[in-house]
This record gives sequence, structure tokens and C-alpha cells, in this order.
Amino acid sequence: MKRITKIAVSAVALAMPVALVLSGCSSDGGNGGGGDNGDDNTLTVWAWDPNFNIYAMKEAEKIYQKDHPDFKLDIVETPWDDLQTKLTTLAQSQSFGELPDIFLTQNNAFQKNVINYPDLFSGLGDSGIDFSEFPKAVADYSTVDGVNYGVPFDSGTAIGAYRTDVLAEAGYTVADFTDITWDDFLTKAKDVLAKTGKPLLSGQAGSSDMIMMMLQSAGASLFDNDGNPTIADNAALEQAISTYTELVKSGVFVEVNSWDEYIGTFVNGSVAGTINGVWIVGSIQSAADQSGNWAVTNLPKLDGVPGATNYSANGGSSWAVSSNANVELAEDFLKSTFAGSTELYDTILPKAGAVANWIPAGGSSVYAQPSDFFGGQAIFADVVKFGASVPSNNTGVYYYEARDAVSAAITKIIGGADPKDALAEAQSTVEFAMG
Amino acid sequence: MDRRLNLTGWGFLLPAALLIVIVSFVPMIQAFILSLQTGRGTRLTFADPLWYNYQRLLGDEIFKQTLLNTFIYLIIQVPIMLVLAMILASLLNNPRLKWKGFWRTAIFLPAAVSLVSYSLVFRTMFANDGFVNDAIGIFGVEPVNWLGEPNTARFVLILGLLWRWTGYNMIFFLAGLQNIDSSTIEAARIDGANAWQTFWRVTVPQLRPIIVLTAIMSTNGTLQLFDESWNLTKGGPAYASMTMSHYLYEISFQRNPNFGYGAALSYVILILVAILAFIQLKVGDKRD
Repeated sequence: MKRITKIAVSAVALAMPVALVLSGCSSDGGNGGGGDNGDDNTLTVWAWDPNFNIYAMKEAEKIYQKDHPDFKLDIVETPWDDLQTKLTTLAQSQSFGELPDIFLTQNNAFQKNVINYPDLFSGLGDSGIDFSEFPKAVADYSTVDGVNYGVPFDSGTAIGAYRTDVLAEAGYTVADFTDITWDDFLTKAKDVLAKTGKPLLSGQAGSSDMIMMMLQSAGASLFDNDGNPTIADNAALEQAISTYTELVKSGVFVEVNSWDEYIGTFVNGSVAGTINGVWIVGSIQSAADQSGNWAVTNLPKLDGVPGATNYSANGGSSWAVSSNANVELAEDFLKSTFAGSTELYDTILPKAGAVANWIPAGGSSVYAQPSDFFGGQAIFADVVKFGASVPSNNTGVYYYEARDAVSAAITKIIGGADPKDALAEAQSTVEFAMG
Repeated sequence: MDRRLNLTGWGFLLPAALLIVIVSFVPMIQAFILSLQTGRGTRLTFADPLWYNYQRLLGDEIFKQTLLNTFIYLIIQVPIMLVLAMILASLLNNPRLKWKGFWRTAIFLPAAVSLVSYSLVFRTMFANDGFVNDAIGIFGVEPVNWLGEPNTARFVLILGLLWRWTGYNMIFFLAGLQNIDSSTIEAARIDGANAWQTFWRVTVPQLRPIIVLTAIMSTNGTLQLFDESWNLTKGGPAYASMTMSHYLYEISFQRNPNFGYGAALSYVILILVAILAFIQLKVGDKRD
């Protein structure tokens, strides 16, 4: 009898902590998941910016609710870095039940995720969404093997934004910086720097955003169509890097070390312009004291590179429907809002500066409204026009690896290394990563 | 009777032991198996040859760079930190010192700060238009691009580590000093040794177990350094300040996920920690 009690006691002692741990696991499960919560009218969404994409989602919810009163969104704020880590972890552990119905994905990372983890996504081929109503360059980011996996959301169309008062001080207008080449830009920007003491551009050292924009403006990329890296012996890339090096060395382009410093350079007025995706307008406008002194135009184009244009893109994101989603509802929701509602874009443009990729929205009168901050210029109408001319570029699966390698090469080149050697090294780094 | 007592003892140990096995050892074995596999994302297959990922590390220039960086941190930062911690501890151990509690708290406080937040503060301080450049500007020194040049970036990182961890290690030395019989110090002084000699010849040898402990802990911590590299410099410029663990994270989560390769890298870190700890134990253990 005694022995039995002892065994029983030790069995309980044994089982207790294990049971506690296990119950800890099970009670947690299922909460984060979206599509499996049994409610047919609720969609879970992951997005990252309360003032931008989350705001847009909430407006989309209101619009969809007009026809579907029971419809609800459960939006979870998830910064992009976390979102990417979550996607990877969920795919790796095959816990697809934890996925939301819809999640936002950076355009540059879209192909990588679809190709590595096709199980995370639902193809939108049968959704009835007309993808020809989006610029091809934008829809291409989320298209893999001819299948669309994403509804483009914000546009990454690149703009050149300059301080008109500073330009005027040096005797220039924005027209002098429109439809020009980088050579022209250098000459004029050096002049502005000499006369006003203000550089026209700034950016993060070790980030190759500027190079990537230059490349895309010529329809060039770091990969050929078969996905092989083309970093060494890439004429457009060499031209872009030598232009960039010249910009930095002449002092026209100020390199800083972090994103907040970069924003700070033009908000505090030490730098009189910037070139980036149109979403940068939100940050520019935070400098209320500079209202009326800004103007937006297109980019300089690369000299001597075939196919070079004055248009490019940086960033942007698209909505993906997960494999765990209430696919029918999610597709219908996206189709009736982000791919079918002028009303939605009319609301989110002035409030959040979300420039539509959906071409029919561009005709709306809201886009033609002048912006006081930009001296009465109807910048969004211009940006939509720019967007239609952006050349497609091939991001591929190894986009981030290639971009990092090129960033490292640029740092070395600016430090004095031979461009050919540095780029050959970058090429072998990427080939190594792909091997 | 003895046997039964023994069994009961083991019975009490068993739950905890089982938990450790399940949550720690099993994943370690799984990670080892993973390190023998290769492939992108979920599509993993066993590599051919099995040690392919380890072989691959030998040819990886970025890995070599991160290994070098980590060892630079280790070789420069750990000795400076331990000596500083020892000196601070013996200063604070002085029985005639006033405001002892205040000094101890002040020096230990950095260890209570989150790694991320202190890294961000350091990044702001060492920004191009940050506090440090403003401060040296007063003396007419040209602003330095601290985080943009390889050596200054590493310097800032080491400075951050010193600030964060010296107080933490000092606590161990303080505890060690309390255990030293004050009569040994007194005897040294009667024999005519000055403070410097007493410290190095009498105090330090008696602190040996603590030195070994802190050295192993710091080595272990430095080899796994991640937060500072990630938050201060993002590994830049051109990988010049990236640590091995940061690269491991890049391989697994930032780039095309290559978990097999990442797991192999984690095992290399484990082996390095084990080797260094073994050497330190051998060198530090001079029992008669």
C-alpha cells in the first residue's frame, strides 16, 4: 500500500511540470490564427504602419461593410521585419493555421517568399481581379510563373523632391532639374552647393537604394532573366556606381548612418532635396516650416546607358492572401476595395499619401488637387503619370543578397577600392550565397 | 533503505532533468541533424557529403570576416573589461570608502539596461551630428564618421560593451573579494608590500576562480554577440562590424532561409566556445 502511494506520488511529481508545460502550449494555440476562427465574416490582416497601410485597410473595411454589414477586419500591427520572421518561422514549422487571412509584403521580398514558401500563399488567378488595371512593373513584383499572388497596394514610384527656395537662391528652378541626366544634375548640384552651401541629396551609407533606383530607371537589374547574377560586367551598374561615387565625393550627396539621420537631413533643412519612393512625401511634409518650398519632379537619367529613363521605383508593397485564408471572402474583399474602389483611393490619398497603383483611381479628381506644401503643385497626378513609365525590373529570389553584396562593394569603392575588383567580389559573394 | 532513498532522490531529479532534455538537449540534437541538411526554406535534404555545410563555411568570405570581427571584440574587449572590473571592485571594497551603496549601484546600473535601448542610445550619440561629434567639436576636432568607418565602428561597439558589462562583472569580483581573508592582505602590508604589489600578488591570485568564471562567461557572451551588432551598425560598413551570430540570423531569417547552413554556423560557435572555455579552465586551474 505504502509503495503504491509512493509510486503514485512520484508519478504525479513527474507528470505535473510536464503537464503544465504542455498545457501552456495548447492554450496559446489558435489565437493568432486568422482563417480558422470559425467566423465566416472576419478576416485577420497583418500590416505595419498605423498611419499608412493599416489606415488604408480600415478605410477599405468601411467601404466593404456598406454591402456586407456583418464583415469585420481584425488588423494586427506587425512591423515588416517581424512579419518576415513570422512568415519564415510559420512556414518552417508548417504551422499554417497561425497565418492571417491577408498580409502585406514588401514588393522586393515578394518573389523570395513565394518561391521559397509557396505553401504560405494562395494564388489569385481565379479571383476575378483584373491585374491589367495595375502597371505591369508593379504587378510583376508579385507574379511568379505567370500567377499573381499579390494585389499591389502602395506605389513606390520614385520622385525627385527639391527645395524651391534653395534652388532659387542659386538661380535655378525645378524645371532645371526635370528630364535631365545625372551629368547635368552633378554640374547643377555642385553649383547649388557652392552658392548655398546645401547639398541636394542624402542617404544611408551602406544602403544601395539610390543605386537600385538608378538601375531600375534603365530597366537593368542585378540578375538576368534566368536568375543568374549579373553584378560583374554590368554596364548600367558600373555607370550607376560611378555616378553615385561622384555624387558622394563632390559632397552633393551626404551619407549618414541611419534612417532617422537621413530623414533628419532634409527635415532640419541641412539638405535641400531627396530622391526616393513617393512615400517619402509623408516624411518631407513633417517639416511644416518648409511648407510651400518644395516641388516634385522626375529623376535624372543615367548617361550612356541604353534604355535609360527618368523614371524608377523604390519600395512599395502588395497584399497577399494566405493559404490559411477564407480565400473566397479575402479575394472578394480585395477585389471590391484595393482593386475596384475609386472611393477608397480618394479617401486614403489625401489623408495618408497612399498613391494608388490601381490605374482607374488615377483619373479621380482628388489626384488633381493642388498641394499647398508643394507650392500648389498637384504632385499626385504627376506621380501617377511617372508611375506608368517606370521600367520593369527583375527582383528575383536573391534580391536581398545581391543588394547587400552591392552595398558592401560600394562602401569599398568609396573607400578607394577598384570598382571592377569590388564588383567581381560582390558577384562571387552572391554566387556563393546561391550555391 | 539506501537504495530506496537513492531512487527517491532520482525521482525528484527526474522531472527537471526530463524538462532539460526535452527543451534543451533534444533541440540541440535536432539542430545538429539540421546542420547536415541543405536546401532553401522547408525543402531540406541531407547534404552530400554530410559535412557539406561545414566545408562551405571554410570558403565563406563573409563568415571569415565575421569570425575575425568577433575575435577582435573578444581579444580587445574582454581583457580590458575584466581588468577594469577587478580594479573597480577592489576600489569599492575599500572599507573606508563613503557612499559605497551609491557607487556600487551606479556602476552596476548599466547591466540593468536593455541591450537594444543602450545600443540605440549609443547609435544616436555617435551619429554624424550626434553628441560625441558635438563634444569633440568644442575642442576643434573634426567630426568623425564613427559608425561609417570599419575601425571606429568596431571601437564604438567595444566601448558600448565595456559600458554595459563592466559593472556586471564587477559584482562577481566584489563577491570574490568578500571571500578573501583580510589577514592575508594585512600580512602583505606588514611585510612591506605597497598597494599595487598587494593587489597583484595577493588579491588577484586569490580571485583566480572568479577570473576563470568571468572570463568564460564573457567569452561565451562575446562569441554570441548579436544585439549590439544588429542595433548599432547593422553589421556595416560592408560587414566590418558584423558578428557571427548576426550573420547566423541573416542566413536564417533575412536572406533566403538556409537553416541547415545557419545550424552549422551555430555548431561552429558552440565548438569555439567549448574550446576556449576548456583552455581557460586548464590555464586557470592551478590547484596544487
